[in-house]
Amino acid sequence: MYHYRLCFSKEGDLKFLSHLDLMRTFIRALRRAGVPVAYSKGFNPQPKLSFAAPLGVGLEGKNEYLDLYLSEHREENKLMESFNEQFPPGLKIKKISTVELNQHPLASVIGAALYVANLPAVPPDLPQTLAGILHMDTLVKVRQDKKNVKKVDLRPFIYDLKIKDVDGKDTLFMLLATGSKGGVRPQEVLELLHLERDTEIKVYRQDLFILEGGTLKNPEGICSVYYL
Amino acid sequence: MGYNKSNLPKKGLRLVTEIDISRLLERVRKPASYLGREINAVFKKLGDVKVHLGLAFPDLYEVGMSHLGLKILYALVNKEPDFYAERIFAPARDMEDILRKEKIPLFSLESRTPLKNFDLIGFTLQYELSYTTILNMLDLGGIPLHSDQRKGGDPFVIGGGPGALNPEPLAPFFDFFVIGDGEEILPEILKVFAHWKDGHDRRGRAAFLKKIARIPGIYVPSFYEPLYFQGKFYGMKVLEKDAPSVIERRTVPDLENAFYPESFVVPYVDVVHDRAVLELFRGCSKGCRFCQAGYIYRPVRERTVSRLKELAGSIINSTGFEELSLSSLSSSDYSCIEGLLEELEQKFGKDYVRLSLPSLRADAYALRLADQVNRSGGVTFAPEAGSQRLRNVINKKIAEEEILEAAHLAVSSGRSHIKLYFMIGLPTETEEDLSELTRLVQKIANLRQTAGNRKHAFKVTVSVSTFVPKAHTPFQWEPQLELPEVRRRQEFLRQHLRKLRGVDFTWHEAEMSFLEAVFARGDRLLASVLERAYAMGSRLDAWSESFNFPLWEKAFAGEEIEPQNYARYKPALDDYLPWDHIDTGLSREFLKREYQRALKGDITYDCRERGCVGCGLENCSLRQVEKGVPL
Ligand code: SF4
Repeated sequence: MYHYRLCFSKEGDLKFLSHLDLMRTFIRALRRAGVPVAYSKGFNPQPKLSFAAPLGVGLEGKNEYLDLYLSEHREENKLMESFNEQFPPGLKIKKISTVELNQHPLASVIGAALYVANLPAVPPDLPQTLAGILHMDTLVKVRQDKKNVKKVDLRPFIYDLKIKDVDGKDTLFMLLATGSKGGVRPQEVLELLHLERDTEIKVYRQDLFILEGGTLKNPEGICSVYYL
Repeated sequence: MGYNKSNLPKKGLRLVTEIDISRLLERVRKPASYLGREINAVFKKLGDVKVHLGLAFPDLYEVGMSHLGLKILYALVNKEPDFYAERIFAPARDMEDILRKEKIPLFSLESRTPLKNFDLIGFTLQYELSYTTILNMLDLGGIPLHSDQRKGGDPFVIGGGPGALNPEPLAPFFDFFVIGDGEEILPEILKVFAHWKDGHDRRGRAAFLKKIARIPGIYVPSFYEPLYFQGKFYGMKVLEKDAPSVIERRTVPDLENAFYPESFVVPYVDVVHDRAVLELFRGCSKGCRFCQAGYIYRPVRERTVSRLKELAGSIINSTGFEELSLSSLSSSDYSCIEGLLEELEQKFGKDYVRLSLPSLRADAYALRLADQVNRSGGVTFAPEAGSQRLRNVINKKIAEEEILEAAHLAVSSGRSHIKLYFMIGLPTETEEDLSELTRLVQKIANLRQTAGNRKHAFKVTVSVSTFVPKAHTPFQWEPQLELPEVRRRQEFLRQHLRKLRGVDFTWHEAEMSFLEAVFARGDRLLASVLERAYAMGSRLDAWSESFNFPLWEKAFAGEEIEPQNYARYKPALDDYLPWDHIDTGLSREFLKREYQRALKGDITYDCRERGCVGCGLENCSLRQVEKGVPL
């Protein structure tokens, strides 16, 4: 078996795909391309691929990651080509690298995500609200889903918030916890900032990170980028 | 083959209306259903095509994209450079609200063209509860509801599919109906249309209708007038001299060489049947007397194993689907089913493409086939009636021992879920038949004892629907059971089945089946009820969350029509029926004989097993294999 790590983007209209839609799209593209995917054993064998962190419906992702296992070796560039030939516009593999087989899948180590939002209008009190949040020790909010209501402290999930000028436009950067140890959704942060009603605000996910000893790392060897 | 980049929307594609799709989609619950940018979707420049056809399915994307007929016609039309077929589905309520509020007309998936700008819109009529959705789609698309209100530039609205065999309740809304298989007739229609459009610059709709009324299989309802005497229907008057008095059903005689798609659109979202479909054969010769499909698609026409294998290869290569469904009305009755399974297994097994066999008979043979393709998961059996007596009435030729043997095999081969389909309210049904039903379920539930360590997971699901008498079947002369009695029998079953361990009981809403019965044998007078129910807000009625029966009751009352008279309609055997001008090719004598045999509990053989049983079909290719066993 061979382990590959893929970095891809999901943009344009395809941002409306759900995580499961995206998974299906990958699996079917693999079959059309004739890529020898490895399968799990058992009654109901499943292709061995796993996404680093599900991306919500309606969000674009600039650097998303995926672990893929093949039963035969394939050259990285060839693999990338066959994927991209089979993808609809909006989906694109940006980089593929080979990973040692004993490496943990990304899904188990990803701890943070960077979200970016354009700010068509910056309310005057926004910088203050933002600073206020970063100064708090706890920030307990009520989360409600279909079944139950529970209180969660969101503050530990917010690593950083920043408003920066990007090409003359005010842009909000949100570095947030994500993954198996809990996290906060960008929409929830917009609510804390009282921005949730502004329908002109578009959020996308810029990148995902591994948390290691209090520092952030890019998923190994791929798409090295620096923000903040 | 694979994914063809040239299929993508080209720059400069002339759109009639540019809609900012993203802005719309951000506000709905299932945005990806409206994207229309799936793999294998076909894009053509509107300026390059002569005929622009909308293929409309009057239900949500998830349902419509599971329908084989639509896929066949989509590919068939689009292989012609001059023709362009696009898909149109019903919007969910949230999308509809936005469209209405912002005055955006309902549009097609590919070029996002409003319905009113198409040349023709073809609706597939699969079930009665989709009829108000058709009106909603026409209205949202900017097309006048009534065919006589449509003008020069409006599209022609066509209906096809099983519902077209009793088209009267929809007659005022459609310009014409296509009766029978669409593969041959649709290109004929489009050719005539292209010619007419060139010559007439889209004026003179009647001229086009007169022309196509001469094509066998086409019914132009405005050329016919239903006649009533003292409220009783007694016949159809032909108003147009070139229109035939009887419209014959079209059949593709040679399915082997008929068109079949080599690629399907691959949905992003999870549709109801999310898989590649291979149609093994069309038609069914079992002769179950309640089943309309068993009568209106005769005769049985098969594709050969080699053709199916070739098609399967292209379809899987071009779509990447992980499942291939071997579809037909009764797949275990395909004559070379074992050979086919073996060959497909060989071809696809190593690539992890699963095969699936829907519509299996409830016997051990079928179960062994199912085991061959997939040993996990549940199995579904449809005994339809609980007692042998009643199964004879409906001509469901399966014995209790066979059902039990199959169920036993299912459990011993490792399955832990058995799903059983039954119908209540079948002609002649008594409480004793229902008691037998519960006893049969009990026996199957008892198989838990043999399930070993899967005991705790073992489950039997009993799903019960209500019998709906359908046009063109031997039961077209039978009334539906009245509503209170349906509810009482459902309650009877619920009481009895709930005592059984590991048995789940689900049933279809009685009111839905009632409405189906009203429209399944309805006449033209019902059109006004449809229109009123639609105007009052009825749509997507097959979804229990939007089905509103009190609203329908009001609509009937508003039109002073008693729906009971339709559901409980019991015409005399020689009465002229509202669908008698539509000729399925089966003789009335045969249907009558089958009805009388049903009431006596006499079964009729499968004509593929024991020779022709005289259904009246002319030029039936199967009759040559006749073995001459008399009825
Ligand atoms: S004509 Fe005879 S052989 Fe042909 S479908 Fe009818 S009953 Fe069967």
